[in-house]
Amino acid sequence: MGVRQEDTSGEIKHLKRCLNDLVSVLALPAMWSGSQPSQIVHTLLDALLDMLCLDLVYARLQDPAGGAPIEVLKIAPSANWMLPDEVHKTLNQWFGDDPRKWPARLRASIIDQDISIVSQRCGLHGEIGIIVAGSDRADFPGQAETLLMSVAANEAVIGLHEARLLLEQKRVAGELDRRVAQRTTELAAVNDELRKEIAERHRAEEALLENELNSRLILHSIPGLVCTMSPAGEVDRFNPQILEYFGKTPEELKGWAIGNAVHPDDLRRVVAAFTHSITTGTPYDIEHRCRRADGVYRWFQVRALPVRDTADRITGWYVLLTDIDDRKRAEDAIRASERNLNQIVNAIPALAWSARPDGSAEFFNQHYLDYLGLSADEAKNWGWTAAVHPDDRNALIAAWQRMLTADQAGDCEGRLRRSDGEYRWFLFRTNPLRDESGKTFKWYGTNTDIDDRKRAEEQLRRSQAFIAESQRLARLGGFSWRVESGQITWSDQLYRIFEFEPGGLVTLERIGSRVHPEDIPLLGDMIERAQRAAGDLEYEHRLLMPNQSVKYLHLVAHRTQVQDGRLEYIGAVQDVTERRLAEEALTQARSDLAHVTRVTSLGVLTASIAHEVNQPLSGIITNASTCLRMLAADPPNVEGARETAKRTIRDGNRAAELITRLRALFRKKESRTEPVDLNEAAQEVIALSLSELQRNRVILRPEFADDLPVVTGDRVQLQQVILNLLKNATDAMSAVNDRPRQLQIRTERGTDDQVRFTVQDAGVGLDPQAMDRLFQAFYTTKNDGMGIGLSVSRSIIERHHGRLWAEANDGPGATFSFSIPPRQGGESDAG
Amino acid sequence: MRDEQPRMIPCSLVSVVDDDESVRESLPDLLREFGFIARSFSSAEEFLASECVGQTNCLILDVGMPGMSGPELQRELKLRGQHIPIVFITAHRDESVRPQVLAQGAVACLFKPFSDTALLEALNTALQAN
Repeated sequence: MGVRQEDTSGEIKHLKRCLNDLVSVLALPAMWSGSQPSQIVHTLLDALLDMLCLDLVYARLQDPAGGAPIEVLKIAPSANWMLPDEVHKTLNQWFGDDPRKWPARLRASIIDQDISIVSQRCGLHGEIGIIVAGSDRADFPGQAETLLMSVAANEAVIGLHEARLLLEQKRVAGELDRRVAQRTTELAAVNDELRKEIAERHRAEEALLENELNSRLILHSIPGLVCTMSPAGEVDRFNPQILEYFGKTPEELKGWAIGNAVHPDDLRRVVAAFTHSITTGTPYDIEHRCRRADGVYRWFQVRALPVRDTADRITGWYVLLTDIDDRKRAEDAIRASERNLNQIVNAIPALAWSARPDGSAEFFNQHYLDYLGLSADEAKNWGWTAAVHPDDRNALIAAWQRMLTADQAGDCEGRLRRSDGEYRWFLFRTNPLRDESGKTFKWYGTNTDIDDRKRAEEQLRRSQAFIAESQRLARLGGFSWRVESGQITWSDQLYRIFEFEPGGLVTLERIGSRVHPEDIPLLGDMIERAQRAAGDLEYEHRLLMPNQSVKYLHLVAHRTQVQDGRLEYIGAVQDVTERRLAEEALTQARSDLAHVTRVTSLGVLTASIAHEVNQPLSGIITNASTCLRMLAADPPNVEGARETAKRTIRDGNRAAELITRLRALFRKKESRTEPVDLNEAAQEVIALSLSELQRNRVILRPEFADDLPVVTGDRVQLQQVILNLLKNATDAMSAVNDRPRQLQIRTERGTDDQVRFTVQDAGVGLDPQAMDRLFQAFYTTKNDGMGIGLSVSRSIIERHHGRLWAEANDGPGATFSFSIPPRQGGESDAG
Repeated sequence: MRDEQPRMIPCSLVSVVDDDESVRESLPDLLREFGFIARSFSSAEEFLASECVGQTNCLILDVGMPGMSGPELQRELKLRGQHIPIVFITAHRDESVRPQVLAQGAVACLFKPFSDTALLEALNTALQAN
């Protein structure tokens, strides 16, 4: 600090300095050009601090850019004891917040140091801010210093204003640049868009062109008939195929009505659909037959779609006709085939089904469902097994499982319940259906009703068993014998009877080897009769078995004609050995009994006669003895003798009466007289005796005259004679074993016009010496005979005015004959 | 009926049992001629009921009779302890009867008609045995 007022030169010097300072301050804005406001403030404060030798300078100025106030404090290096924070605080205490109210001058103390403070407002009303200067000089501020302060404040305002203008200018220029850049970007984008659009359009055009080419290509090569139609349904464009198919020129096609191309049967339907589509604009889709150029109708699927413009108006129709004839035929064929198959499946007289590989059922034909009375749902899978008979169910399912496991077709039987509850037998037949690899993917099966067969089988089995058992029990064997071929069929039982190996070949030779040698003639006779087809056969003959036992067989056979007209005997052979033995035993017993009876009855008769006669005889003799004794007495007892003699006579008469009574008792009864056909009578007798004859192995050869006259007589008596002659002949042959026991019975008209009956046997024959006694009563050559038969027979024949005689044969045996006169119209005196 | 003394074996009672009347008429006369006392009965029952059973020295008995037969009477008498000699007579020439009755103790069996000597012989045998 110096003393300036004392010295004028100092004053001038001081002034000069002031002027310099002023110039410096005025030059400041030039420096500030382009500077930031804060830079302006800093430059200004530095200039003031330096020019005014201040201890501190402070500015708070509005930022011309509109930011926060620019506040700068500068402290001179010589006053570095002042701390900026203390200064700020002190300034705020001094002046408050509003710088416009700050006092222009102030003496204050900062940190115990007195200091002069000057504030200079900036702007017209201080609105720009304030500049504060401080110095410890007491004279502060001088005039020059105040001027400088004021100029500096103005310059600051100007500088800040310029700075503000510059900033504004800069801001506007930036904005302009930004806007230009933005607009440029926008334009570039639009440009890009346009380029893209152009490229796109170009491509679209190319595609369109390609498409057009393709469409034409497609249209011409499409395997179908294509055309377009006007909204009214008239054909306008078409592909060549359509012309080719219908055989039309383009001109013809354009003026074409569909009528002559559509099958008459489809026409009505087609017209209706077509009209409907054209009228309503709805797509058209129909299948119908179109006539080809050659007149053949083929099925087509015809589809038409309307084409619309932006206003949704129909501008035309696209029509595609696709030939579906082959498909249609195939479909028809398949349908027909399916229908056919279905019909077959439902018509086959069996229950048909299919099953999956696991055995569960998936399909049943209608028959099956109808039979079960179940719906397909109820029967499917394993539902059907509920209808299997409980006794068969397990076995049936097991059999099914076995087939599934074995993967092989099979069959089994079981009963299925019908809807009415009745069980019927079925044959279940299954078959696997395999794919190419051989894997079963389905099973098919049929169940055939075999109930009738089963029952018949059962019946047959039962009746066969029954027959076999019956045959076995009855010892009855069946056979058939084709005489010409010699083919003989036997039942099992017959093999058993003959003790041949069952099923072995049967020949007459083999049979002959078993037949009892004595019965071989019977066999020969049978064969001979069969060959003559003489009628039914009935024989009894014996077998001689290898163990020498004898079997008695009874054979009956019926002659039949088999289909080819050849002769066949169907017959039965019964082993009657036991019966025969029993019969023989019985016959023997009967015979014995008969003998005993005869003897007994004769004895009884004799005894009776004797008793009846002996009683009176006894009386006679006793009386006679008494009489004699009485007469011999002395004297003779005459009275007694007379009495006994009377009694003798009486008893004699009694005996005579007795004889008369006996004669009456034995007198023959009246006989009947009638016309008798001897043939008939003889046949009756033969019929009665047949079994007896056969039992005695007698081969009967009847020869009956056809023209035999009728005789008159007692039929029964004549039959007794015939029976007696047959019996005698049979008996006469009973011991014959070295030749056939042949018995010939003959009726004939004799040379003397008599009716003759002859029985010729091959028996023991007649003893010539006995011939004359033959017909006497009680003469017999038989050990069991009565010797009455022939004598009675002769008396019967004689009563018929005939005669009975016997002759020895040339060969073995004898012939007995009788002849009686034929009936003479009305004459009947026999008996 | 006359009381005539029997000559050969006097006073013996001979009973005749026979259903035949002619025998009952004739035989007692002959027996009396022989000297026996003779009684006749038409049936075995009648004889058994009479007092003669115990007195009869010889019985001439018919084999076949209605009711009780001769052999049955023979058995009955044996059961009663009446050992009367019996001479059977019969009109039936049944040889089987004779050994049967003889085996039962009969003295003889005569077939009707028999001679007086044969009868007398049988009676003598019977009475001797008695």
